[in-house]
Amino acid sequence: MNALDYVILVGSMVGIAAYAVWNTRGKRDLRGYLKGSGGTRWLTIGLSVMATQASAITFLSTPGQGYESGLGFVQNYFGAPFALVIVAAVFLPLYRKLKVYTAYEYLGHRFDSKTRLLGAGLFLVQRGLAAGITIYAPAIVLSTVMGWRLDATIVCSGLLVVIYTVAGGCDAVNLTQKYQIGVIFAGMIAAFFVLLARMPAGLSLGDALTLAGGFHRLQAVDFSMSPDRRYTFWSGTLGGMFLALSYFGTDQSQVQRYLSGASVRESRLGLMFNAVFKIPMQFFILLLGVLIFVFYRFERPPVYFNKAAWSLQADRDKGGKLRSLDSAFTLAHAEERRQIEDWIGARHAGNAQAEAAARQAALRAQERVEAVRAETRAALDAASPGAKANDSDYVFITFILDHLPHGLIGLLVTAFFAAALSSKSGELNALGSTTTVDVYRHIVRREASDAHYVVASKVFTAFWGLVAIGFALFANLAENLIQAVNILGSIFYGVVLGLFLVAFFFKGVGGTAVFWAAIAAQALVFVLYSTLSISYLWYNVIGCAACILLGLLLQAALGLSGARQAPAP
Amino acid sequence: MIEPADDTSTGLPWPKRWGGVYGLVMAVFVIWVALLTLLSRVFS
Repeated sequence: MNALDYVILVGSMVGIAAYAVWNTRGKRDLRGYLKGSGGTRWLTIGLSVMATQASAITFLSTPGQGYESGLGFVQNYFGAPFALVIVAAVFLPLYRKLKVYTAYEYLGHRFDSKTRLLGAGLFLVQRGLAAGITIYAPAIVLSTVMGWRLDATIVCSGLLVVIYTVAGGCDAVNLTQKYQIGVIFAGMIAAFFVLLARMPAGLSLGDALTLAGGFHRLQAVDFSMSPDRRYTFWSGTLGGMFLALSYFGTDQSQVQRYLSGASVRESRLGLMFNAVFKIPMQFFILLLGVLIFVFYRFERPPVYFNKAAWSLQADRDKGGKLRSLDSAFTLAHAEERRQIEDWIGARHAGNAQAEAAARQAALRAQERVEAVRAETRAALDAASPGAKANDSDYVFITFILDHLPHGLIGLLVTAFFAAALSSKSGELNALGSTTTVDVYRHIVRREASDAHYVVASKVFTAFWGLVAIGFALFANLAENLIQAVNILGSIFYGVVLGLFLVAFFFKGVGGTAVFWAAIAAQALVFVLYSTLSISYLWYNVIGCAACILLGLLLQAALGLSGARQAPAP
Repeated sequence: MIEPADDTSTGLPWPKRWGGVYGLVMAVFVIWVALLTLLSRVFS
């Protein structure tokens, strides 16, 4: 990065944050601080919901998924439109009708205090940990590639978001997210067009897609029923629907976004905006990764995208295995490129037989390239077992730094930070609200002025920000980062969703039955997660189903008293 | 089962009812899956 890139990065990030603080100054009432001014329109809600969900991990890691595995990951989002329709039709009107600040307040109305605290507690544990990953994920990748200090990157980006979230509350979060998502989209679209322009002369988009398809990177939909496969149409639609329903319907970081709408209409349209554009957005990000894969068939990529990790070990291993693997990779890549050029030449000549033969030769050459990469990864893993992130997380940022012009590099790095800050601010805002409303005001201090609760909310928001920064400073994650977040969510979300579905649809089930059912269901999910190797999305279904069934059984077997007379659909 | 929302009309030129909006969202989903499946098949 040069001076221009740094000016764009620092200017955009600090400028957006300062504007939000200035624009929302003087908020003193609790409603305004936690739910916003109440005049938010649908587009702001839609972008805010999108920005909260799409963290920096989405934009850093997802192109790497596309590079390594193709488009299949898009299926994880197939359940989102169904879930968003259910949230808009069922959840949202109830929350608005009861004028709740948090989703867990509804559990208190419908069941009892302990069930409300259980829902809030599960949210605080899950989201508190995820907030740490949200801030850690971009910091580890960007600090490694840029040569920045990891702790300084975490602390600087973490403190910036804490300051404007604490100062401005919900309105500041909504406002910054609108501008941040604009920066993100601008960066991703610019990267896409630069990538197309950098493709070899004579290679059309059709050729690029043919190559991507030939290398099995365009298998977007898999109708296989096997539960072992991580991404299928069925796990994505059913498991993904439960995950999305839990996330959009019961996770306060999302609920708070759409409760700030001027009316049910505005909130619904904001949710429908996401129902329509979530899948194409994820497809576009994955396609970017797939096209980077095609680009690197002609341009030699690094044998290991985390070049800092490779260099560190190569320097220790003078004249050793890593350098010989690098040389082998150069030869294998040159051979692969030659075979691919033959393939494209045959395609342009319209010679189907020669094209099929050249394609097979290119696939064999690609296998040799991947074999050298795998050997390099194994050598690095053996040398450094504590390697902190999957190499695929470095694919996109490596492409940006090596092949984009200055100015655009600054824009893209700004986009990553904008994504990190936008999702983090939504999470902190929700963590502070839930702690204030469901714990502090509900248990510790029931009667106090609005000004007191606003101060308490600011203190709790700052507290969770510092917890997230602390977690990020001491985290050591080896999994692909986006999967780590989804796995964490899937372990907790199913049970929380079960609580809400019982509340909405099973009027005879009371608080005590559903409380113990949720405890047992969560324990069951923990046990199954540690013993089975099924797609993590299924834990959403299992946790939810177990909570509902156990709740019904406990209610029937123990003859516990029925639900309180609180609104249900 | 579901209580009426505080505004049942979408306020849009079309669709005027929320059921129509939800149907439209589902139709868009089906179109996306069909296009992605087609992409997989054409370039396999």
